[in-house]
Amino acid sequence: MSIWTKQGSLAEKFWQHGNAGFPIYDMHGHMGSHNAIYFKRAEAAEMVAHLLRAGIRRLVFSHHHVLFSAAFRNQQVWEICRSFPDTLRMYVGINPHYPEIIKEDLAQFEQWRPYAVGLKILAGYHLINVTDQRYEYALQFANERRLPVLFHTWGGRGGYNDGPSMLTLAQKYPGITFFIGHSLFGDWEYTEKIIKETPDNCYLELTAIPGELGYIERMVELVGSTRIIYGTDMPWFDEFQGLGGVLSAKISDTDIKNILCDNVERLLGQDW
Amino acid sequence: MPWLVFSAGKQSAPEPLEKMTMQELFFYDANCCLGLPMNGGNYAPDAAALLQEMDYYGVGKALVRHLNLDPAGAVQTNADLAKMLRADHSGRLLGAWCILPSQCDEIPPPEQFFASFKENRIAAITLSPFAHRYVPCRLTLGKILDAAAERKVPVLLNAFAGRWAELYDFMAAFPNLTTIYQEAVGKWGSDRNIRPLLENYPGFYFETAGYWVPEGIRDLAEKYGAGRIVYGSGFPRYNHGNGMLQLRHSGLPQESVAQIAGGNLSALLERAQL
Ligand SMILES: [Zn+2]
Repeated sequence: MSIWTKQGSLAEKFWQHGNAGFPIYDMHGHMGSHNAIYFKRAEAAEMVAHLLRAGIRRLVFSHHHVLFSAAFRNQQVWEICRSFPDTLRMYVGINPHYPEIIKEDLAQFEQWRPYAVGLKILAGYHLINVTDQRYEYALQFANERRLPVLFHTWGGRGGYNDGPSMLTLAQKYPGITFFIGHSLFGDWEYTEKIIKETPDNCYLELTAIPGELGYIERMVELVGSTRIIYGTDMPWFDEFQGLGGVLSAKISDTDIKNILCDNVERLLGQDW
Repeated sequence: MPWLVFSAGKQSAPEPLEKMTMQELFFYDANCCLGLPMNGGNYAPDAAALLQEMDYYGVGKALVRHLNLDPAGAVQTNADLAKMLRADHSGRLLGAWCILPSQCDEIPPPEQFFASFKENRIAAITLSPFAHRYVPCRLTLGKILDAAAERKVPVLLNAFAGRWAELYDFMAAFPNLTTIYQEAVGKWGSDRNIRPLLENYPGFYFETAGYWVPEGIRDLAEKYGAGRIVYGSGFPRYNHGNGMLQLRHSGLPQESVAQIAGGNLSALLERAQL
């Protein structure tokens, strides 16, 4: 008997119905066309259609155009979210090369709630290390308000968002809830340290990991399933591929539900 | 689903879901490796271990390559793969042997080479020109690949994953081959490169491991036909399950899902004249 036919299991429910009756929170998304990838479903309406098919209650995203082109502003993203109030939430994209834009945008943050949930920092692409002072205004802002900040991170050393830099930052800003995007992919030493040597303010985010053989199993073994949250980089990755990857991991159904739903509800509640 | 609240006119309810039980779907993995890797990592050391993994997810059959093909070379791993397949009595695994340029006589001449496939449970060929250091062109591979084209033996293009310029040259040199492009590298959707090949070479098939574009399988199937796509896991880098759920909920009708899951690969292997 395969996992998909095991009676009453989450895998069986997802196989049969595409969901298991509980809400799923995708905490790492984007939107908009991309320079190097053809995305047929990159705009809000078609993204939301895909999200609803997969039972995603909320997608929290940062818009590609905000991240990759300073001409497109977070205000426009807020307007997009307002058209899909039941599904879309945004991270305010922070581009450290434009300090005036950061100040202008954060001045509107409170008005952009509840759609604006936190901030997004993409240091590996903006080529400025996460510990650089050019992020300080935004990080102080998030720290004071206890906001989540999603960081793009990856394994290896010496990059702009590597394990040691992230650890330094998470210790410096205990008020921020750190979403460690891609979970420092491949850096097992700091995957563990970022959880165990910080004041309970870090969560490992799964984008690009579900499906990698044995990866989620090892994460759960290292830090426990209560410190892992789900994400897909949507519109990069198919929700059913991501869910399939979590369901295919050899972990318990309780672990799976923690990752897809319960951890986020414990952090942010259900009403956001 | 009470938490799915729809605002008037803005979001539409998902389409009703077609029932598809696992019993109705047969999965045949087109991208799967067996054997011990030189430098450790994930692996299935033998057929029994691989079958156990396939059973966990409900995969029926697999077309397997040797995991250590690149560092250990074709001669050694072809022999080792055949040995591992001999130890499998389930009949659920078939193998792909690796070819080399004819001029060095490391691989027997085509007639003899293909004649030995059946008894060794080999059903396809693969090549690894970049690791094995030769140019994949008519000069090096013309004889063996013309013979493969004539016999409709599928050629696995795993070595070309992400090497688009080389793949385009290869396909131009051998337009009549039956080929299966295997993705499983990187995670950046590659439609800009895949689609021209699907459009121009009727014998070019696309395998799904690592192709994670949202509903991308459905889009490719609608544009080029579900008959051009085959399920693959990318094991042991990836597990078998993630791509199964992606395909099951691709939004394609059951008939197309069944074709991609296993029907197409079965048909390709059956029509090969071996
Ligand atoms: Zn991202």
